[in-house]
Amino acid sequence: MSSISRQHIYLVVVSMFLLIFVLVFSFLVLIPQGKEYRIKRVELKKLTKEFREYSNFHDETEDTLQDLRSKNRRIITAFDTKFNPERFERANKGYFSDLKVSSLSEPTLENGFGLYEVNTTSQISSPKSFYDFLDAINKSAYIIAVNFPIDFKRDGEIIKSSFTMKVYCNKSDINATASESKKK
Amino acid sequence: MKYSYIAPKKKSAFTQEIQLLLSFFSITLLMLLVTYAFLLYKNYTFVEDKKELSTKKIELEKSFLVMETEIAHIEKQKMLSETVYTKNTVLKDSIANLFDLVPLRITLSQAQLLKNGLILYGITPNKDIYNFMLQAPLRSIFHKTYSSFYPAKNGWYRFVSTNYIDEEEIAIDE
Repeated sequence: MSSISRQHIYLVVVSMFLLIFVLVFSFLVLIPQGKEYRIKRVELKKLTKEFREYSNFHDETEDTLQDLRSKNRRIITAFDTKFNPERFERANKGYFSDLKVSSLSEPTLENGFGLYEVNTTSQISSPKSFYDFLDAINKSAYIIAVNFPIDFKRDGEIIKSSFTMKVYCNKSDINATASESKKK
Repeated sequence: MKYSYIAPKKKSAFTQEIQLLLSFFSITLLMLLVTYAFLLYKNYTFVEDKKELSTKKIELEKSFLVMETEIAHIEKQKMLSETVYTKNTVLKDSIANLFDLVPLRITLSQAQLLKNGLILYGITPNKDIYNFMLQAPLRSIFHKTYSSFYPAKNGWYRFVSTNYIDEEEIAIDE
């Protein structure tokens, strides 16, 4: 009977140790880490997909905003522009023989926007000038609604007219004006 | 091969089998450790990527909210401006219609356009012309119409025509 050499026994023992180490390491460390890796990978994939979708939606919204801004540039600027009676008089002098705009009233809030009321007295040669003026204010640098009461009174060859105008602006402009007047 | 009893040949503990075994062990252990390191690194990057994504998403959400508010504001501005422009156009047409309504034989001296009515001052050759040519169309537009006449020096009549629309109608229009 041939006896097993000591070297072979060492080999078997060391191999057993390695096998045990590999098994223990795999089951206690590698497999849980692998599971965690798989879960996190799926989770990240899901998050990335969600993020991409949200990002696309965000980009679409941004495009909508840019589109709205470019299509309504004049209106946006008009709401941002503070009403200047002198500038208004200069711009619309052509429609009237005489135009006087009273100073701005204390601003109030209407539908979430700032509102100034301005009284206007003017002289026109014919009602057509007034119609042209109404067409022109719809294209002016401000958002202006001509409001009642409107009074036309004949005085010889001219018509004296007086009316109220509602000038709309952004709410923030009102706050700025209020703080300016407080400082004064 | 020489054999000697005086100078024995040294035997190394690292025999060829042991060397083979050690290299096999080393490779196995190295593979295990590399796999472990890879998993650790990947898990770490996943956590970092997740954090980065969350931060980016929060930023996007903030920017989205700002944009939404701005879109709502612009839509509101657009709606208000359109309402204002329509009112101005309607007003223009109303005034034009009013002046078209007045017959050539009647001369207006004053017209007051109110929110709920119209007051006309003028001069007419006689009451019938006023009643048939001006008051009749005014009656069809307004709910209440009152007229008063004052004789003028030339035999004509000065008139004041006061016309009102019911408040309920105005509320419906608005």
